[in-house]
Amino acid sequence: MRRWLAFILELLREIGDENAYRRHLAANARTHSPAEWRRFFDARMRSRYRQVKCC
Amino acid sequence: MVKRLFRRFVWLAFAAAGALCLGGIAIHRGEPVNSLWLVVAAVCTFLAGYRLYGKFIAAKVLCLDDTRATPAERLRDGHDFEPTNKWILFGLHFAAIAGPGPLVGPTLAAQFGYLPGTLWIILGAVLGGAVQDFVVLFCSMRRDGRSLGEMAREEIGRIGGVSAMAAALLIMIIMLAVMALVVVNALKFSPWSTFTIAATMPIAVLMGLTLRYWRPGKVLEASLGGFLLVLAAIFAGQWVSRSPLVAPWFTWGTMALAGTIVIYGFLASALPVWLLLAPRGYLSTFVKLGVILMLAVGILAVRPPLQMAPFTRFVDGTGPIFAGRIFPFCFITIACGAVSGFHALISSGTTPKLIAREGHAFPIGYGAMLLEGFVALMALIAACVLDPGVYFAVNSPAGIVGATPLAASAVISGWGFPVTVDQMAGLAAQVGERTLFARTGGAPSLALGMAHIFARGLGGTWFLGFWYHFAIMFEALFILTILDAGTRVGRFMIQDLLGHVYRPFSRVHWMPGILLSSALIVMAWGYFLYQGVRDPLGGINSLWPLFGIANQLLATIALCLCTTVLVKMHRAKYMWIPCAPLVWLVSATFTACWQKIFSGLPRVGFLAQARVLQSALDTGRIAVGQAAETRELIINARLDAAVCGVFLIMVSLVLIDSARVWIGILNGTRSAVLHETPFAPTRLNAEEI
Repeated sequence: MRRWLAFILELLREIGDENAYRRHLAANARTHSPAEWRRFFDARMRSRYRQVKCC
Repeated sequence: MVKRLFRRFVWLAFAAAGALCLGGIAIHRGEPVNSLWLVVAAVCTFLAGYRLYGKFIAAKVLCLDDTRATPAERLRDGHDFEPTNKWILFGLHFAAIAGPGPLVGPTLAAQFGYLPGTLWIILGAVLGGAVQDFVVLFCSMRRDGRSLGEMAREEIGRIGGVSAMAAALLIMIIMLAVMALVVVNALKFSPWSTFTIAATMPIAVLMGLTLRYWRPGKVLEASLGGFLLVLAAIFAGQWVSRSPLVAPWFTWGTMALAGTIVIYGFLASALPVWLLLAPRGYLSTFVKLGVILMLAVGILAVRPPLQMAPFTRFVDGTGPIFAGRIFPFCFITIACGAVSGFHALISSGTTPKLIAREGHAFPIGYGAMLLEGFVALMALIAACVLDPGVYFAVNSPAGIVGATPLAASAVISGWGFPVTVDQMAGLAAQVGERTLFARTGGAPSLALGMAHIFARGLGGTWFLGFWYHFAIMFEALFILTILDAGTRVGRFMIQDLLGHVYRPFSRVHWMPGILLSSALIVMAWGYFLYQGVRDPLGGINSLWPLFGIANQLLATIALCLCTTVLVKMHRAKYMWIPCAPLVWLVSATFTACWQKIFSGLPRVGFLAQARVLQSALDTGRIAVGQAAETRELIINARLDAAVCGVFLIMVSLVLIDSARVWIGILNGTRSAVLHETPFAPTRLNAEEI
């Protein structure tokens, strides 16, 4: 049960881009700050909203 | 050895149970069938298909190689390319492919009865949709995550590639229009629903501001807050609908709603993404996954009996929701629930860039489509648990059954689906609506079915209104996220295109370019929406088949690519795997296209419809006041015929181009040059995945 809940939470974090942000911070050796989040978020959304969503 | 035999026995048992349930459904007549039969038949067939057919394709046909580095590993950048856990990626891919199509399509196709839709969803998903998604995902993964259009250009040829890209843009325009029409029909004259959906806009902006300035990076937290506010808005909507002072502010007709949605599309395309689009996107994805899960649990817990007959009288093509015989229109209408061309765009978009091991492409590509098929089946069940009289009263346009409740119930009862004015009035009062007659588009009847299932599990009839508006909110919310994201994608496509004419257009931050290209894309789908709203038959009758045809033609292009790649991989002996669904899709879609253009029946053929209206106009049978409107309808019918014709030509070009490549390679007159990325061994550890 705990494993399932952990999996669901991980999935939600992945959908919510929180994991991607954590990876971004680790890969670029940066720490979290509002400006860093905005930089990451803007770059991610630029590529996401160039792709069509499914019907 | 014993373990292997046991495993085989288990799979054989699944296959036998699936066959038994399918047989049971097929021969069951005369009394209501429990929906559990459909669920068990689907689950067993999907499991057997996954284990036997899907695994065969993965092992023998595509020969997935786990020692080969995927683009996620080779091009890892922490953003677009990142090796991701198999099941997390399965969830992401499923969330991306699960749109409103598999919910609305099967609901509309229920006019033929529950059996044709059920059989097509089960067989189509196993033999067609999942094969397409899986093979396209494999192709893109072997080509650094290239898009469908790019792969078609490289593997099939320039004509095929350009046709695929142009078809994608045109198909997107039709999709956006028809989805907007579904929302318009769900919200018309409904202050409760309109208020709830209107409230999601400031809620999304609040979420956007929270994420940007107050709680940066806390997406789950902001989404949970947003969801609670949406629930509060649904409760507040009930108060709004009952308030004589406030209700008129949110009681809108179809034209006002269409205009507002067009303005919303324009704003969403031109405004910064973080303010509206992204927070709505997060909220919609979380709500979507939650509601799908709730529906599955609800059906299993309540096990409602199906009220609809296995076949209705409308298999002959005289259906009130859309005209046309069971072949090809049942298949065109269900579209995404069984085979979806749009999935090929997702399978060649984000997902291939995140796959850690080649072997993961099988559960993600094949498995996620089977789950989508299951969602489609649940939507069909939700529509079929409604009293058939109620189902037809909700979905039949006033132009077919009459504008008054009395006339509509008399016509529908005359078809053999008894329904009374009192019954419909009682139901409307229970869900807090003024009327439920002629609420075409599929969304209201799906919401009614879902509300019945949810209410039986939680809250009883007292909660029916809440669940109905919860379901409407869910459908409208994620349709609108498709609209806003699609409009933005279309804007970029147009900016790219205009950039060739005048260079500043290609700069994505150049404001005149943003405004002009946003206006152009909004005008394109807005025109078709306007046409649907003005249509006396409700618009869905003409636009949904057009959307279904477009979607299935895109799948045809994707399957052409799959076949071409297999032939080039020297696996021509397996080309029947994508060719079998390809032949079916070509025959169904081309027949539908032909009938929509040339059928002599005015309710089916666009040109026949234009001819009848023209002759009525010429002979003076149309009142002077309605002449301008009739001329508009004639133009629209001809435009729809032209769109069908363009689809047909584009896909024929891809087919001919592909066949030329296949024949050349099989005859030995053309070399089989694959455009795969060269092999590189993986260096990923198991812990990294």
